[in-house]
Order: sequence, then C-alpha cells, then structure tokens
Amino acid sequence: MGFHLSGVGLTHANGTIALQDIVLSAAQGECVALIGPSGAGKTSLLSVLGTALRPSTGRAEVLQTALTATAHAPNRALRARIGTVHQAPPIPPRQRVVTAVLAGRLGQWSAWKSFASLVYPLDIAGAQAALARVQLTDKLFARCDELSGGQLQRVGIARVLYQQPELLLADEPVSALDPALALATVRLLVQDAAARGATLVASLHAVDLALACFARIVGIRAGRIVFDLPAAQVDDTLLHALYASEGEMLPTLGPPAASDRAPPVAADSAALLSIAGCR
Amino acid sequence: MPLNPALRDPIASRRLGGAVLAVLVLWPLLHAAQVHPGALLDPANLRVIGGFLAGFLPPETGPEFRGYLARATLETLAIATAGMALAWLLAVPLAYVASSAGRERRTQNPVARGLLTILRSIPELVWALLFVRVLGLGPAAGVLALALTYGGMLAKVYAEILESTDPLPAKALRTSGASRPVAILYGLLPQASKELASYTVYRWECAIRASVVMGFVGAGGLGQLMDQAMKMLNGGEAATILATFMLLVLGADALSGWLRRALDTPPAARASPWGWRSAGFVLATALGTVASFQWLDMPLLALWSGESARAIADFVASFFPLDLSAPWLRKVALGTWETLAMSVVGTLLAAVAGLLLALPKMRLPCTLVLNTLRSVPELVWATITVLCVGLGPFAGALALGLHTAGVLGRLYAEALANVPPSPARGLRLAGASGSQAFLYATLPGAAPQLIAYTLYRWEMNIRMAAILGFVGAGGLGQLLYFELSLFHYAQTATVIIAMLLLSVAVDQSSAWLRRVMR
Repeated sequence: MGFHLSGVGLTHANGTIALQDIVLSAAQGECVALIGPSGAGKTSLLSVLGTALRPSTGRAEVLQTALTATAHAPNRALRARIGTVHQAPPIPPRQRVVTAVLAGRLGQWSAWKSFASLVYPLDIAGAQAALARVQLTDKLFARCDELSGGQLQRVGIARVLYQQPELLLADEPVSALDPALALATVRLLVQDAAARGATLVASLHAVDLALACFARIVGIRAGRIVFDLPAAQVDDTLLHALYASEGEMLPTLGPPAASDRAPPVAADSAALLSIAGCR
Repeated sequence: MPLNPALRDPIASRRLGGAVLAVLVLWPLLHAAQVHPGALLDPANLRVIGGFLAGFLPPETGPEFRGYLARATLETLAIATAGMALAWLLAVPLAYVASSAGRERRTQNPVARGLLTILRSIPELVWALLFVRVLGLGPAAGVLALALTYGGMLAKVYAEILESTDPLPAKALRTSGASRPVAILYGLLPQASKELASYTVYRWECAIRASVVMGFVGAGGLGQLMDQAMKMLNGGEAATILATFMLLVLGADALSGWLRRALDTPPAARASPWGWRSAGFVLATALGTVASFQWLDMPLLALWSGESARAIADFVASFFPLDLSAPWLRKVALGTWETLAMSVVGTLLAAVAGLLLALPKMRLPCTLVLNTLRSVPELVWATITVLCVGLGPFAGALALGLHTAGVLGRLYAEALANVPPSPARGLRLAGASGSQAFLYATLPGAAPQLIAYTLYRWEMNIRMAAILGFVGAGGLGQLLYFELSLFHYAQTATVIIAMLLLSVAVDQSSAWLRRVMR
C-alpha cells in the first residue's frame, strides 16, 4: 500500500480550512495526478503525505506507517523513504550541484558520511548518473547560483531521483520549465516510479500534461476531492466544473502554436491527448 | 578516488592546497602569539585572578562613588555622542566624494579613499594619546579622536553601502537629466537608508565602548574611573563600573533595535513624512548633541587660534624625521608580527566560539553570554586576561577573542536566522537530521555573511591588537606606549607608520580573501 487517507482534514493554525474529509488511497507503484484551481489544497494534500503537516482529523497511513497526530519528533526513517520535488527547488545558491544532488540521501547516510562528503563528494558517479537523466551532466561541479531557473529545477528532480524514494511527491514540478522540457520531465518521473515500483503523486498546473501522462486523475477544489477517475473518463464537463473559478480557459502547457487555433475556448480532450506518448 | 577523470572533483586539489597553505601560515602565527593555554590553569595565575574576581563582591555602591559613577557615565555618553556628531559631519561629504555611487562611470576618488584609509587605520586610542599631548587631559581629546577615526569608518561604509545598492534607479534618473546629488537622494537613499541608519546607530554603540576605552589614556568618562579601579585592584568598584557599562551597551542596543524596527514600519498615508516618532527622534538627536557639547564644555574653538596652531605644528614636527635605524626597525618588525599574530589568533578563537554560541539550538541561554562578552571592550578584557595568563601577546589574543566572540556570535546568529528556511525544511522532509540539514542547507546559505563578518572583524581587530599593548599585551601598542611616555617621538612615529601599513595590508588581504572565498 502506497498510502491511505480516510476522512483527513487539515485546518491551519490561523483557522483556514485547507482540506476536508479527504478519502484517498493508492497502491504501491500507482501514479496519481492532482489537478485543480490554485488554492484548492493540492500543496496541503502533498504536505500531509510528505509528513510536513499533520492532519487535524481523520486517519492517515503512509508506506504502512500511521501518521499519528500525537508524535512529537518526525519519523526520520519514514521520511527518508519519501522524496519531494518542490515547487521552487530548496537549494542554497552557493552549494555545488554535486552536493545538492547527494543531499538527497542524507536520510540514509550517517552523520560522519555526510560530514566527509562535504570535504570530498563521496558518490560523484551516483550524482552524475542522476544528473544524466535530466540532461545536466555538464553542470556536475557547477555552483547552483550559476544555473538558470529551469536548470535548478532539474537539479531538484535529480536529487529526488538520487534519493530513490518509495513514495515520490511532486508539487508543480515543471512550472519553471518550457513545454517540451516539462513533458519530458514529467515523463521521466513517471518512468522512474514505474521502473522502481514507487508510488508517484504529482500536482500539476497543466491539465493536458496530467491527462497525457497519468492513468489516474484526482480533481481537488476547495479542500475536497471532486472526482477520482481514470484519465480516459475525465471529460471537458468535469474539467470546466473543476476550474469554474478560473474562467473559460483550462490551464494547459499551452504550446504557443495551440493558441492560434480557431476555437479559443478550451482545447477538447482529443486535442489534449495529442501530446500523448507519455503513458 | 575514481579513475575516470571526469568523475574527479576538480576543486579538490585547490581545497587541499588552501588547507595546507592555511596551516603553513597559521602555525608560525600561533607560535608568535605565544599561545599557551596551560597558563589559564596555572595555580599562581588562578590565585591572582581568583582574588581579583573575589574582590568583585560586594560591588561598591557607596553614595560618593555613585556620584562619580553617574558623572562618568554621562561624560562617556556625551563623548560618544559629540564624537559621533563630528564624525558624521566629516563622513557625509567624504563619502559623497569618495563613492562611485551615482556617477556615470564607476570610478572612485583615490585621494578621498586614501584619506579615509589614513583616518581609520590609526586606532582611535592612538589619536586620543596624541590629542591628550596637545589638548591636555580631558574629554576633548576623546571627542576629536572619535571624530577622526569614526569619520573615516562611517565614510568608507557609507560609500560602500551606496555602491552596493542597485544602481539602476539612480542611473535612470541620471539619464533623464538629474544631477548626482538628486540621483542619490531619489534613486539610492530609499533603498539604502535603512542600512545606513542602522550602521550609524551601531557605530554610536561602538563609540560608547570606544569612549570608555579612551578613558584609559586620560580622556575622561567611565574608562578613567575603571583604569583607577583596576590599578588599585579595587574589585568592588570595577564590578560596579562593569555592570554600569553593560547596562549602557545593552540600552544602546535596545534603542538601536527599536530604531531599526521603526524604519521597517510602512509610512502613514499622509503627505508629510513627519510623524511623532521621526520628529521626536530628530529632536532628541539634536538636543542630545547640543547637550553633549554643553556638558563637555570643550575648548575646541581655541584650536583655531594661531597660537595653538603653532603648538600643533611644533608637536607634529617633533615626529620627524622617523627613526629608521636598523635595530629600531627590527624591533618594530617584531612588534608588527606579534600584533598580526594576536589579531589572527584572536579572530579565529572568536569565530569558533561565536559559531558555537550562535548554533540555533543554544540560542536562549547563550544570548546573555554573548551580550556580556561583547559589552566589555577588548582593552578591559585585556586588563583581566593579563592577570590570567601573564603579560604578552597571548593575553591580547584572548582579550580580542572574548570580545569578538560576543560580537561575531550575535552577527552569526542573525545571519543564520535570516537564511531562507526552505532548503533545510526540504532536507528534513527527506529524512535528514537537524545537524545534517544545518550542514547542507543552513550553513551554505549563511556562509557568505559568516565569512564577510569574520573578515570585517579581523580588519577591526588588527587596529585593536595594535593598542592592546597599552595594558601589557605585547605588540606594537607596547612599543608605542613606552616610547610615547619617554617622549621619544621619532620612534613613536615609526610605530604609527607601521600600524598604518599593517592595517592597510590586512584590509587588502581581507578583501582578497573575500574575493577568493566568494
């Protein structure tokens, strides 16, 4: 079992209700895309799965471990098995790419090993292999402040690939990348999860990307799950209802050419699936 | 190490080289500073310092002493305020001339820069000693010494702050026809004003400490009182003075914190920028400055008379020609080396201790320690460390280390707290421990500030190390103090030149180190 949430609710300290009555589970190895308007609670849901936030109500179980509301210290062993691709890559600008990637396994390394690796990087080949999968091998020894935003985002992804987590969470992982690279990167995450039998949950801004790459789509709105369906059954009506607050247009990767096409209304499902080849 | 050259860390050899070089440089310096931690545990020394510290209790609280103390405290505050006012008057035009900010081309004025270097490279205590010779004992010497050194420092830092703010707004104004002063006022000051103001307030706080120190050479205030108490080994009085002093520094600290927070609050929605707070602050500053000059009642205007001008000219002339004889130069070179060693060892000690005290987990109990360490000036620490480990540069290094650890610890703690938290949080979420997240996320995030603060402190410490010899901690200060008390002006002049050259050399190497470690 990848994870299992039943009746999970999350209320922030200031009283805002972020999640309500979430029932969601995924088998180990399943890939799930979260879509929904901004502020819907996608990041909150990922934070609960990543043990960053404790659910206020309900039962949550991640990788066969119950997330108790009473535990004081975070469960480090569990966290080492969960990898997160963050919206903005959380990497200090002065750190070198090799160190930033190796930091993915700090949860598995001893204190001594992690200290020694600062003096001389201990698994250069491993970092190099992870960077090769995001086409950044030439930046292995560069400093992160020399990279562009998109390159830095890919370093963040390489760090998670190097971590090899059993549960892979991605919070808008490709919002800083151009459409072609975004597609390739999401594909890479899906392939990596499939190859290792890891569970993948990704929140995506672009609906077409989600439909093209994921078998299962979960729509969230105002802290509640609106639908949880196989991608093939997600149609325009559902999507428009989900994004009703954001106007007529559905958020897509929007390759510039697409906007020239005649009907300026949302691209229909068939057109959305034209960037297939991901699944 | 992997055989594939592409997988070898390209900077490993440079790191190794740097480490070896550091050891090669530090080893003789440690030797020159006569580091012998064993002396701290020497029973004879322990007895002396134990007896002295035991004398701290009970602190002296007699009414007569309280009267002296109140007068000395007011005098110290007045010296610091008057000195800062003159320094500020000197610094603003100098910074304007010296800075490249707001100019079409980024050129600095070498003459003004050179003048600034000379002003701040000679420690205020040396200026004070010289002014005491001209003006006699009293606060005037301290005020002028502060004005010159702090004028130089303020001008340099003002110029650098203006240069490091985003130049585009000022450039846009220049290209649309604004003059340089207007471009600075409208394009640079809005961005830089907070930093400028908080640095000025911080310097006022330093001026309070410095004015205490100058009392040791007869420039009045709390320092003179402290000097008398220490010379008579009157622990009770020393304890009361130290406590007063800490309160003064902590009060100045709280005031500057309040001011900095006030600068952060957004302005009210009205046409006039003057609220009760800013108006009150300006009024208080003006009144405080006027009151300080009134209280001190200095014969500064008398300096403009032809008679005193001649006296000063004679005094200056007596320093020339410099004594450049070989034996004296050898002595000065040795003193220079000892001073350098003292500053390096003291700064390193402080960096290590400061980092330990700044570690996030230990914040609360350490604040008190940090405040105590930094509110006692180096020279006062030196009078105590000399009792602990005996005369010589090790006592000086310890004194520098103690005071600087307090300063650096506080700056380090602030820098660590200002690091964006998301990298560390990201690592914690992937299972890293607190210390791993600190090493891989927080420390690299703060490293530039930590390095910059440490090196800036070293630049200050070299000036301080040069005068710790006044209380027996070796180095150039000891030479200067001896020669000056023997009226050997030619020899004194050589020592002052050596101090100047040493400060300039340290400034240059510190700037170079900052570039290399960027």
